[in-house]
Amino acid sequence: MEKQFEIPSLRPSAGPKVTTTTGTFGVVDTLRSGFVNTRSELTARHPLEQSEALYDFNQQKIRLGMANKITGSALPLTIQAERACAARIGRLPGLRSSRLHFEVFAGTDETITIEDVFDTPSPWDEEPQYTRCNNTA
Amino acid sequence: NSTKNQSSGINAEYGGVVLGADTRATGGSIVCDLNCEKIHYIADNVYCCGAGTAADTEFTTKMISSKMELLKLRTGREGRVISALRMLKQYLFRYQGHISAALVLGGVDVNGPALYTVYPHGSTDKLPYVTMGSGSLAAMSVFEDGFKMGMNEEEAKNLVFHAIRAGIVNDLGSGSNVDITVIRKGNVEVFRPYQVVCKKSERAGDYTFPVGTTVVTSSTEMVPFSALTVTDEEVMEIS
Repeated sequence: MEKQFEIPSLRPSAGPKVTTTTGTFGVVDTLRSGFVNTRSELTARHPLEQSEALYDFNQQKIRLGMANKITGSALPLTIQAERACAARIGRLPGLRSSRLHFEVFAGTDETITIEDVFDTPSPWDEEPQYTRCNNTA
Repeated sequence: NSTKNQSSGINAEYGGVVLGADTRATGGSIVCDLNCEKIHYIADNVYCCGAGTAADTEFTTKMISSKMELLKLRTGREGRVISALRMLKQYLFRYQGHISAALVLGGVDVNGPALYTVYPHGSTDKLPYVTMGSGSLAAMSVFEDGFKMGMNEEEAKNLVFHAIRAGIVNDLGSGSNVDITVIRKGNVEVFRPYQVVCKKSERAGDYTFPVGTTVVTSSTEMVPFSALTVTDEEVMEIS
């Protein structure tokens, strides 16, 4: 439980190792491991790609880690539990929801961020809104 | 399109802040904008001069201005300069210097006048007089020579004007006019422009060619379009 609330390291780590099964002559077996996107493996990623993808998650982890050190583990555990419940509150699949409860926990209800300005889903998108803020743990 | 420009500020003892900037925006060695606005609004009592990439400074200051307004609505109080500073610092550090915005932040709040400088990587300094941008050395030399504690508003404005003018004259990345914004407790005065330093010169002579310069060898009469008659019309569908 103590490991859960450790302050995360912000140093970029090596990307996830993609294991591909090879068939005869060392060629990638497309049937079993899918098509190979060579370009994404060879070109260098942007130095901020990983830190930006994990930004919200890391900030949450830092805040809960500090709360754990200051007040004990009860507060961050209840916050995490309620946040997980709030992430599941929503309407039927395909319907839009304001996700106000979840936004209060994310802290985005009282501020404006880059996500609110750039690349916002247009009103004509078919994609349901709740898949955009994935609570990856 | 980047601005390599200069901006400077003075925190004067009369209880206010004087911010100054030039108005040239360059893209490489070409002047893209002769009269751009580099002193950005953050809050009613907080303004920010931006040096570096024009889009970065513009967008960063707009973002922080929105955050300050939301904070003001949340707390019900007038915004503070240190709030804007902390927001800028955390925003720029998140992007590890890839957002090239070097800012001079100044304003007057309940704690009095404050002048800060913010670098693209997120470091900040609180100082009585600061300069940023390509003309910062020229401007800083004027400040170092002329600054003294306890200046009044007129002296501060004069010193900032001469500092910006030094950058405009001596640095290729700065030019055109001097803009000055004076922030006092309760009101802000914007001088745009405070003074025009570089004015585009008038054309010296008449460069039009008189009729008959080009010798006409032969001429044919052109049929005007209205003289043609429409014989057949057909509307087709685009599939």
